[in-house]
Amino acid sequence: MEWSILQQYGPSLLKGFGNTVLCWALGTVFGMALGLVIALIQRYAPRWVTWIVQAYIEVIRGTPFLVQLFVLYYGGPLVGLRLDALPAGLLGLTIYGSPYFAEIFRSGFRAVPLGQIEAARAIGMSELNIVRRILLPLGLVSALPALVNFSIILTKETVILSIITVPELLYQVQRMSAETFRYLEANLVLALFFWGLVEAISRVGHRMEARITKHLIERT
Amino acid sequence: MFSFAVFLESFWPLFWAARYTLLISVLGIGLGLVIGTLICAARLSPYPPLRRFAAIWVSFLRGVPLLVQLLVFYYTLPVIGLDVPPMVAAVVTVGICASAYISEIWRGAIAALPKGQTEAAVAIGMNPRDVWTRVILPQAVTLSLPALINELILLVKASSLVSVVGILELTRASQAQAATTFRPLEVYIAAACIYLLINLCLAALGRYLEHRTAA
Amino acid sequence: MLAASSVEIRKVNKYYGDFQALKDIDLSILPGKVTCLIGPSGSGKSTLLRCINFLEEYDSGEVRIDGQLIGYDAPGKRMPGRKLREMRRSIGMVFQQFNLWPHMTARENVAEGLIRVRGMSKSEAERRAAEALAKVGLADKMANHPSRLSGGQQQRVAIARAIAMEPKLMLFDEPTSALDPELVGEVLNVMKTLAGEGMTMVVVTHEMGFAAHVADQVVFMEKGELVGVDSPDRILHHPEDARIQSFLRTYHERNSF
Repeated sequence: MEWSILQQYGPSLLKGFGNTVLCWALGTVFGMALGLVIALIQRYAPRWVTWIVQAYIEVIRGTPFLVQLFVLYYGGPLVGLRLDALPAGLLGLTIYGSPYFAEIFRSGFRAVPLGQIEAARAIGMSELNIVRRILLPLGLVSALPALVNFSIILTKETVILSIITVPELLYQVQRMSAETFRYLEANLVLALFFWGLVEAISRVGHRMEARITKHLIERT
Repeated sequence: MFSFAVFLESFWPLFWAARYTLLISVLGIGLGLVIGTLICAARLSPYPPLRRFAAIWVSFLRGVPLLVQLLVFYYTLPVIGLDVPPMVAAVVTVGICASAYISEIWRGAIAALPKGQTEAAVAIGMNPRDVWTRVILPQAVTLSLPALINELILLVKASSLVSVVGILELTRASQAQAATTFRPLEVYIAAACIYLLINLCLAALGRYLEHRTAA
Repeated sequence: MLAASSVEIRKVNKYYGDFQALKDIDLSILPGKVTCLIGPSGSGKSTLLRCINFLEEYDSGEVRIDGQLIGYDAPGKRMPGRKLREMRRSIGMVFQQFNLWPHMTARENVAEGLIRVRGMSKSEAERRAAEALAKVGLADKMANHPSRLSGGQQQRVAIARAIAMEPKLMLFDEPTSALDPELVGEVLNVMKTLAGEGMTMVVVTHEMGFAAHVADQVVFMEKGELVGVDSPDRILHHPEDARIQSFLRTYHERNSF
């Protein structure tokens, strides 16, 4: 790619990257929060509520993200839900990620030995305190590797937002290549960029994991 | 408001278009199995260059979003002078992408086998080929069946992305339908229902296989 | 001298589906006394122990701590969670698998209940935790996480966690079964000290030596039934029931290797 093209499109590419990071970060945070709520509901709510939540999980996990975005962005206005592309993309990403995060939390909670919860019950701790002090800290730690992995998967899903015209990185690259006719180069560079990004995030993520779980590993 | 009549009207034509979704996914996983097995073999081989190649293959395909892979592939073909039907290009891209994941599924299944089993086979004097074909692979295949079904479900969903390069599968067909009826809500929900139906069936198949091999 | 509770168990039954885990159990545990529950595995002794603090829900009958029914307000009517927690505060429990919280240090493990359940300030709780840990001989291990402690040390922390709550009754569910043989002694010694202070203790154990020397009464269970309740000497050295004789014979044979 020539220098002049980069100079001309640099700002819009940078803005696109900013939007990608924004969508990813907020989508991950909100998706995790919703997923955590779902996992807690499934653990503590009455049977019929867990069925409804389970149906939600099946529907979201059984359909493509792209189709979910279409329903939300193009179908939404027909029921009065009018959103700009960016908020629609964010909401879509949150909804899309939530059942996966919920499953991750759920198996994290299951990994907490029942005995450690019984020990808390035996000294008379309230359920709320048990969740706060025992279940969450231990469950989160055992869910950490899967959380990191799924957050990385979500970085890749953000490019799908370009299809509903969210001005993120791929969207800007497409615009640039349409104007300069450098389709192949532009997309190739984008591919390499994502490759580097995902590798970097997963290195950092796994180093974090190792630090957080250090004191839990039995020394032999 | 949501119109059930519009929903029903678009359901059957879309259901018919879903055959391409299935075709792409099934051919994609078939190709993915072939390439993925080779990549896994390379990854476990004693030759460092092969191992490195396989590692880069897996890392690249898992690091780059499928949509970007599709676009790169789509724009590469004319440059290198290959004139293949878009459908073939789509299946090849999806298959190559799946190969990275399938190679990791094999590797995980093989790693999950207790080391003692290989040692036991070696201890009674089996040669390496028999260790692989008689002891390791039969178990690895059974172990990884649920993960492979899961990969197929992922491909069914991922195949929606090939709509971007103009292939008339379920998602593309629903876009066309939405454009002509001006009822995107019903049309896209119908499409979602069809995807859900396909995937629930596949999930049920997966549970059946898992159950059968566990017994 | 500590305040010590009594336990009255009357006609307690417990089912898992069709399987009856406890059959019409009647048992009195006197304040300040040590009761050992022995018997083959699967005999229901752990289940019975866990009914005393209602970690295991019994289906019929009564378990009374100092006269107060635990788990139910009236037969068939569950007591509110708050009231159950109130009662559990004064019942300490020690588990086979220690069940320390791995994300907390030894001192934090002990202080946690004092802060969350007894509502103590952090500094006061930590002072008490240090005392309790000193009592079980672990003053120098307070800052260690469980993963940095031996099995015997972990179990002593678990005992400290229970006694810091100042219970009037202590339940031990096979406290030494998960330990390497050379670590059993240190845990039994702590328990012996506790018994000497007049704590009411109910102990499910396979340590016949401990039962013989420390227990005031020994209870033999088999297949969910209470077969014999008597002094350690009468159960362990001069058993009349054939089932107890056969259990002890197997036990001594295994230990003679």
